[in-house]
Amino acid sequence: MRLFFELTKQSIRRHLTYRAATLAGLVTNFVFGLMRVAVLVALYGEAQEVEGITVSGIITYACLSQAVIAYLSMFGWYELMNSVYTGEVAADLLKPMNYFSYWMAQDLGRAIVNLLLRGVLLMVLFSFMFELDTPQTAIQWLALPMAIILGWLLSFSWRFLINLAAFWTPNAVGFGRFGFVLSWFFSGFLMPLRLFPDWTVDLANLTPFPHMLNTVVELYIGVLSGAALAQALLMQLLWVLGLILLGQLLMKAAVRRLVILGG
Amino acid sequence: MRHSFELYHRLLSVQLRSQLQYRFSFLLEMFSTAFVVLLEFASIALVFERFGHIKGWSLGEVAFLYGLVETAFGLMDMVFSGFDPQRFGQSVRRGTFDQLLLRPINITAQVMGSDFALRRLGKIALGIGILAYALALNPITWTLGKILYLPVVVASNILFFGGLFVVGATITFWTVESIEVINILTYGGSFVISYPMHIYQQWMRHFFTYLVPAIFLTYFPALYFLDKPDPLHFPAYAPFLSPAAGLLVWAASMAFWHFGLKHYQSTGT
Repeated sequence: MRLFFELTKQSIRRHLTYRAATLAGLVTNFVFGLMRVAVLVALYGEAQEVEGITVSGIITYACLSQAVIAYLSMFGWYELMNSVYTGEVAADLLKPMNYFSYWMAQDLGRAIVNLLLRGVLLMVLFSFMFELDTPQTAIQWLALPMAIILGWLLSFSWRFLINLAAFWTPNAVGFGRFGFVLSWFFSGFLMPLRLFPDWTVDLANLTPFPHMLNTVVELYIGVLSGAALAQALLMQLLWVLGLILLGQLLMKAAVRRLVILGG
Repeated sequence: MRHSFELYHRLLSVQLRSQLQYRFSFLLEMFSTAFVVLLEFASIALVFERFGHIKGWSLGEVAFLYGLVETAFGLMDMVFSGFDPQRFGQSVRRGTFDQLLLRPINITAQVMGSDFALRRLGKIALGIGILAYALALNPITWTLGKILYLPVVVASNILFFGGLFVVGATITFWTVESIEVINILTYGGSFVISYPMHIYQQWMRHFFTYLVPAIFLTYFPALYFLDKPDPLHFPAYAPFLSPAAGLLVWAASMAFWHFGLKHYQSTGT
């Protein structure tokens, strides 16, 4: 466990040094947030509330979905894949640590830095521009950090899984892209799931993706409460455990396949 | 000039051959570029079921804009992928751009020939598909003028987005690292003009009218193709300024590119 946090600490330090990139990302997410707000508000038109989401709720959604891009690596994460192609994977596998935990520790560092420097900061910036919704009850406030952490765990386990494809094919980037795009649609990143027709929502609920982002959004704008909230958190947890288990199994198969060419 | 074309041609054939080498991963990448467009558009179409329209524009009408932008952006992204700011920034950072400068050959042709993202065919195909869908939902009364003008509008959009790519690439001469901001211009620009411009607040619309003349690229032409009145009360010739706006942005970007080249200092790596 000490090793885990040592790695996380190092990763935090490393990611804190990318100051220019962080600022650039912040500005980009901010401007895209403004654009998305403009489109969604226009779509609402005269409507005050649709499927429980108010106008301020939809604005908060647009801001929130931009704020978590970096935290959840929504646009792609191919580090593990690249390490397989460069051969660094050999050294990583020799480390006295589970391969999954090794990557998780590093990703945790990345996530913490991006949650604070991009996520929280963005929401503060957006709150100067718009009247944003926040959780309503104490229970929602308590559940929020849990949902955010579970969302990251789910996102990481998913990214770990699709990166493992590198063990099977010499160019898995295309495959990885499929995985990310799928998560955009079903996590509610492109549009809040509630605004989709029922069949799309049912389909999404068969996948783990709603629990990466949509659960956090619905909790944040206060439309998730009571039994539904408890159920959402439980489902989040179950999906996390399921994907971690799947990751461990696939990882074993992957490592068995691996051939490192010396040199 | 002729020499440059010949060189570009040769660089292209090398590119294509190498990209088609791994047939399966090429196909997968191509499908994934189509898949992005498909799901992004699907998310809009599905939400439209609930709202019916966006400030008076139906799904069919928005799809016309959307398909136009995706097709043109995809074509541009394929042809100008050498100038893709992400990729180009990397070559500046790693110093591989310096190698190109050392060769006594037209530098623009070399950069253009350094990549040709054939996988964008997927995006282009989907863009055309969305256009077809738009026409099915919302039949256009075709006139000879419209038939002739449509390819001109697509070409103008290619020039426009190509110009943005060149500007983005040139900026990396100075910033080296923080290239994500350039996405605001390119992807942000294409996002904004995929929707009818009258939905935006005035400051945003003015930005995309007077500073970046994006509004002339798709919105005004779309009014002409769809026979819709202009809520912004621009002159009646506004729909036909598309080629002028495209050429203007392209010329400005080329001037900026040559300015950048003149002042370029290598990172030394």
